[in-house]
Amino acid sequence: MNLYISCDMEGTAGVSSWKQCDPSDTHEYPICRRLMTLEVRAAIEGAREAGASRVVVNDSHWSMRNLLFDELPSDDDLQVISGAPKPWSMMEGLNAGANAAFFTGYHAKAGDAATLAHTFSDAIYRVTVNGTACSEALLNAALAGSYGVPVVLVTGDRAIVDETIRALPWAVGVAVKDAVGYSSVNSLTPQAARAAIRSGAREAMGRIAQARPFTFEAPFELTIETAGVEHADFIELMPGFARIGSRAVRFGANEYPALLEAFITATRIAAAADA
Amino acid sequence: MKLYISSDMEGVAGVCAWEQVDARRPHPDFAIYRRYYTREVNSAIEGARAAGATDVVVNDAHGPMRNLVLEEFPDDVRVIFGDRKPFSMVQDADGGFGGAFFLGYHGAAGDADAVLCHTYTPSVIYELRLNDIRCSEATLNAALLGYYGVPLLLVTGDRTTVEGVQSQMPWVHGAIVKTSIGNRAAASMTPAAACRSIRREAENAVRDAATAQLFSLQPPIVLDAQLVTASQAHLIATIPGFKRTSSRSVQFTHDDFRVVFKAFVASFRLGALA
Repeated sequence: MNLYISCDMEGTAGVSSWKQCDPSDTHEYPICRRLMTLEVRAAIEGAREAGASRVVVNDSHWSMRNLLFDELPSDDDLQVISGAPKPWSMMEGLNAGANAAFFTGYHAKAGDAATLAHTFSDAIYRVTVNGTACSEALLNAALAGSYGVPVVLVTGDRAIVDETIRALPWAVGVAVKDAVGYSSVNSLTPQAARAAIRSGAREAMGRIAQARPFTFEAPFELTIETAGVEHADFIELMPGFARIGSRAVRFGANEYPALLEAFITATRIAAAADA
Repeated sequence: MKLYISSDMEGVAGVCAWEQVDARRPHPDFAIYRRYYTREVNSAIEGARAAGATDVVVNDAHGPMRNLVLEEFPDDVRVIFGDRKPFSMVQDADGGFGGAFFLGYHGAAGDADAVLCHTYTPSVIYELRLNDIRCSEATLNAALLGYYGVPLLLVTGDRTTVEGVQSQMPWVHGAIVKTSIGNRAAASMTPAAACRSIRREAENAVRDAATAQLFSLQPPIVLDAQLVTASQAHLIATIPGFKRTSSRSVQFTHDDFRVVFKAFVASFRLGALA
């Protein structure tokens, strides 16, 4: 069994603020990158106990070089994708060769009343595909789905886990914390979270047979509402994007990967507007 | 006749270093040279009006696109000010203009003997080609004017720039205000002499407007950009419709030149993040 893991940081147990997630922070970030790494390790171990062999882990947070190799398994069957920018961002390295995908440390989408809620960038106010408001998890699950790969485990805060499981009812969800506010959580301890993730990962491997790839239906329509007018100004420069409002653009595609690639690039050029 | 002016700063007489033209890192020289720049634009307006130009729109096309000293302009000139314009150096050039001037323009990235040569973003664009024609900013911008049906009548700047434009558009009048010596030195006219020369050529250019031609590219328009680094090509290739043609180059093809122009703007904005 080949397993793909996209790991983010904001949905890690104990994480409640941006300072903990910001690689330039020298006090809290070093602690939290270790918590993130150990949750990923727990997911790998649980999956391996249930039959996973080759595992590809894509570090999907911020600078995308957060994982501490010394805290991960050191066998030949583990591959880690690090660094940024990567064209496919949180889903770099995913292809049809994976039997299943895990999303760990995920967080709620922009606008949700949840901790550190956002969608790729603060320039994004709301994103929809075919009319469905999307989190990072849903956008990424649909890319995996377009390759025929089902997502079978989602870990993070309760808001993202519950929402994702509604769309992917075959998947196992491990909610390691509840949001109290944008920068506060009611969390499991890291140790309890790791135990829950490890056992959730084992269970998730057993769901692969009945799991389904999550897909939207072609043709695909992306709408992006941006935080500022200046962000839409820059996105609109790109071929295929139509301006549908002062802070809104639309993009159509017949293939889902083309849509997600356009969205990821839109988040980048929107960031240039803040430069 | 309605006249469109796109004015840049590197090709102004006397300019030979970034400090003289950089509003973002104000050096005492900038305050001096923005006046020389403004006077050259004013001289072009005077000459154009002497030959019958009426409405004049000036687009401050030198980043951050708010350099001209506005109080030195005649009252009846419209000025396009500020950056992040989707059509950048040729924003709003589609308003029924009878002709256009490119003032203070500079050489393309890679030109020898062209003071401060670059193509839009020096850190990103190594070379730009449209339908296999090597492009300076003047070439790219003239092609948008051509798309709108507006002929380029006058270019001013250093010898390399003016002669480069005239080799692609032989009908264009030129005022050569300096001869570049490499990239950071020039043998220049004095500002006052440059203004007289620009005024004279502007008058000639408007007088000869009837004989000017359009510089237009035949669709499909193929944009080939060579980037400075491979990581820029990596990112730019993710813009819808772009393909990576080598480790440091990308290509984009479209029938509508406006789409191509905006795609180019998107590419250097994104490339600057790599």
